[in-house]
This record gives sequence, C-alpha cells and structure tokens, in this order.
Amino acid sequence: MNISDELYQQTILEYNRSPRNFGKMEHATHAAHGLNPLCGDDYWVYLNVDDSGVIQEASFDGHGCAISKASASMMTMELKGKTLDEARRLFHDFHDLASGKEHPLGKLNVFSGVWKFPERVKCALLAWRAMESTVSGRETASTE
Amino acid sequence: MILSVSFEEICYNCPPYRFEAGTPNIAGAIGLGRAIEYVNAIGFDWIQQHEQMLLREATSALEKIDGVRIIGTAEKKVAVISFVMDEIHPHDIGSIFDSCGVAIRAGHHCAQPLMTRFGLPATARAAFSIYNTRDVVARLVAAVHKVQEIML
Repeated sequence: MNISDELYQQTILEYNRSPRNFGKMEHATHAAHGLNPLCGDDYWVYLNVDDSGVIQEASFDGHGCAISKASASMMTMELKGKTLDEARRLFHDFHDLASGKEHPLGKLNVFSGVWKFPERVKCALLAWRAMESTVSGRETASTE
Repeated sequence: MILSVSFEEICYNCPPYRFEAGTPNIAGAIGLGRAIEYVNAIGFDWIQQHEQMLLREATSALEKIDGVRIIGTAEKKVAVISFVMDEIHPHDIGSIFDSCGVAIRAGHHCAQPLMTRFGLPATARAAFSIYNTRDVVARLVAAVHKVQEIML
C-alpha cells in the first residue's frame, strides 16, 4: 500500500499547506468546537447562516494534522450555499465515504482511502462532527 | 474469599484474602518469572549499553537532518527521542513512518502541560530497546526523508 496514493493525495497536501477559509469569523451565527482529546487536534468551525437557513460563509481555525486540516478546509468550501439540512446530509455522506462506503462526493473523494488507516478516520471527521453539532444546536464535538 | 456462607449469614475471611476470590493469575505469575529470568540473563549493563548506543547513533543522525528538532536532551535520559519536524504534524509523521515499517508514538504523550511549555501540539517519539539493532537508525533516517518528500 502506497501511503501517497491512499492517504496523502496531492489535493490533501495542498489544502494542508495553504488551507482555504482558515481563520476566525467575527460575524458567525453558528460556531462549534471540535476536539480530539487523545491526539490533541483542536478546531473551531464557524458558519454564517442567513435568515432563510442558507450557509453564506464557512470558516475554521485551530490546529491538527494534515488530514484534519485539509478535511476541515474542504468542508468549508463545500458548505457555502447549502441549507442546514443539506449540510447535515453532506455530513452523513462524508461519514460514509470516510468509513469506506462507496459514496462519490466529487472533490471530497480524495478522502475515500482514509478508512484503510483506521486511526486517521477520526482526523478526517473532526471538523465535520463540529459542523454537524452546530447545525444541530450543540456547541462541541469530540471524536472520543 | 469467604470463610462460610449460609442463608442467614455470610462470613468473609480477613484481608487480604477477602479481596482475592477466584483462581489467582497463575499463568501471569509464571510468565512474569520467565520474563525476569530473560532480562537477567541478558543483563542490565548490556541492555543499558545497547540502548544508549542506539540512542547516540540515532540522535547524531537526526541532528544532521534540516527541519528536524529533538525535544529533550538531558544527558542521562533513557533511550527515547522525541522530535518535531518543521511544518509537519506528528500524526502525519507517525502514519508515514508506519508505512515505512517504523513504529513510533505520536501525540502529546499524556503530558499536555509539557507540550504547552514547549509551545507544541504534539511530538513524534522513537524508543529503542533490546530487540532493536543498528539498522533501525538507517531506517529511521530513511523514514524522516520519506516524510519530508511527501509532506513538503
């Protein structure tokens, strides 16, 4: 198994080096903390949702490994323009994808090999769990 | 353990017996005895020399690589090397080392205040023992280069 093909694909490495939507959002309507207490990965996810329930902006900040950072960044790219219901559905689809189920998700398919590294699945899901928490009315998410 | 039990009354034995009901861990005790014999046969002097030799060689090899920083350099430390690499998270180091067949620990090592003291989220840590041979140093260095090749 070649780890560059299975886990560290170019897209993931690029998002790790220069993550899009990285930074605190001052005017966020939703914010949630995602923490993995065992490994120390620690992110905040911010959303700006308009009155009709559509996500206008998404960002994140914090620190963690390349997988968690790239996954958080790509998530914020995908969320823009989605309703909260669509965001929740995308969380479940991404959860399936990262757990090894066939689930074509466009650009996010770069995470389709993560399930082969069981200890890294929680890295890929951390910011997603935080996002799912805040759109469901909770403020924290933990992968443990 | 009990002394006697009836419908009317239960009478426990005195400590420590009352806390030691059931079959004792006989296999575990025998195994521990064999493990102690094994370690004594090798000898602590040899173990220490061997581990320190690997520590010295690995330290000097890692120190030569740009972008690698060793955390913890006490003179008489045991044979572990905690290290960080510029711009690369220790968990990514751990996964890539794993793919190279080199098993290390990555994380905060249950020492979060120490990580805070060093201003680090985590470190990667290699540990040496009696079952390691000199070639692990070369494999360690190769794994570090592989990490840099993939991540940078």
